[in-house]
Amino acid sequence: MSDHGPAPDPMDKAYAQAEAMLDDEAAGAARRARVLGAVAREAQASTSAVSTPPGRRLAWGRGGWLAAASVAGVTALVAIQLYRPAVTRPEPPAAEASVEAAAAPAIAPAREPAAAARAPAPPRAPTSPFVASRAEMRSRRDDPVVVASPPPPPSFQTAPAAAPPPSPVTPPASADAVTARRAASPLAAARAPSAAMEASVPASPAVSAARLRAAAAAGRIAELTALLTPGAPVDAPDDDGETALMMTVQANHPAAAALLRRHGANLDLKNRAGVSARDMAASIGDPDLDRALGLAP
Amino acid sequence: MQRLGLALMEDDAVEDADLLRAHGAGDPHAFARLYDRYERACFQFIRRLLGAAHGDAAEDLHQETWIAVSRNVAGFDPAKASFAAWLFTIARHKTFDHFRRQKIAVLSSATDSALGETAMMVPDPGQTPLEQVQSRERAEEIVAAVEALPLEQRGVFVMFAQGGLSLEEIAQITGVALETAKSRLRYARAKLRQSLAGERSAHV
Repeated sequence: MSDHGPAPDPMDKAYAQAEAMLDDEAAGAARRARVLGAVAREAQASTSAVSTPPGRRLAWGRGGWLAAASVAGVTALVAIQLYRPAVTRPEPPAAEASVEAAAAPAIAPAREPAAAARAPAPPRAPTSPFVASRAEMRSRRDDPVVVASPPPPPSFQTAPAAAPPPSPVTPPASADAVTARRAASPLAAARAPSAAMEASVPASPAVSAARLRAAAAAGRIAELTALLTPGAPVDAPDDDGETALMMTVQANHPAAAALLRRHGANLDLKNRAGVSARDMAASIGDPDLDRALGLAP
Repeated sequence: MQRLGLALMEDDAVEDADLLRAHGAGDPHAFARLYDRYERACFQFIRRLLGAAHGDAAEDLHQETWIAVSRNVAGFDPAKASFAAWLFTIARHKTFDHFRRQKIAVLSSATDSALGETAMMVPDPGQTPLEQVQSRERAEEIVAAVEALPLEQRGVFVMFAQGGLSLEEIAQITGVALETAKSRLRYARAKLRQSLAGERSAHV
């Protein structure tokens, strides 16, 4: 028995010659064109899949948020400046109304500015949905103050009315003044971006899914964690049927893959080529990745 | 290392890893050069592993293999393995995945020992006309004999004889000890001799 170890063997040569003889050059050329074409399409598709979300990131990157914050802050400020409470006095009792009816025409103009300064009223013309919602919330918050305030006592003085006696439910300053100070403070500008973001960034499932796939492909754990909220479209595929898990497996990001799996990403969904994340992981053969996917102990 | 059928690679000064990096950087020609170096060996490896019964899937698996290579450029570490070893690892996984999808039982290496010592007792014919492929018919006989080998032996033999991989690389690809890879190659050669000798005597 001879040793046929790593040394060349006539049988090896015979087999190589046989393969060369049976080789079909035309079929090989057709195969080459098909494979290289598929690889080129694949590369193009993956490039577009990864490059689309960064476009949005550019739009809403750090600079984008600062711009949004500035716009929201200015809008809020303008809205507050325009904010003028309507003259809405609570209805006096009928008995008092009759007394006031005789004297009021002479004194009402002198009393109204003070009353207007005290009593907040619903906003007149909100400048944006965001401002409207905030103003509405403020109005609702301040409603009890208006309702609880006692009606101004009938006064026959011609001088401007003095401040009403302090009430336990009346704020020390008018709601308008407080609101104006809040809006003018740096804190308001700091608060504005998040609210503006909530209002102006469309968090449609398609956009969320695209962001998720881009973060997965790049292995950005922090972004993935932020995006993987309950109900997030973790398995939403792109046009090629590629899911976030497939992308992170292809890019070999075990930590991102483990995170996606913990959020229920399906390992057996297949892309349009019929390849699943499990197949891709098997092709890569990285033990860390396999462990992250739960394919290896 | 001798790499039969990959003469172009030896003549080419550009390393495989450099071509792969260039492909990852967007060079449209780098991948084609890499493909041309290994395409034939890779395809024949898949084709022979699949065997005659599943040969139709060879084209698809071959394409999937190269797409996987293209996708996972970042996953290739030249310090861990040669490109050829990495490529054959992917191709082997693709083929075995196909078997699993088709619910085809992959024969374990127990068949190595099932071959028994009888095959090993076949004398080495040396430089006889057996190894000289004289006709297409003879070439088909040899290929058919290779496809009749147990799966693991077949894989080792094709990777060594056609892919030009070293036994160390083959052991790494198949996840077995070096001695196991070596014995599989030995058994494969012995069984081929036995098989082809039988066919030759049948023809006579």
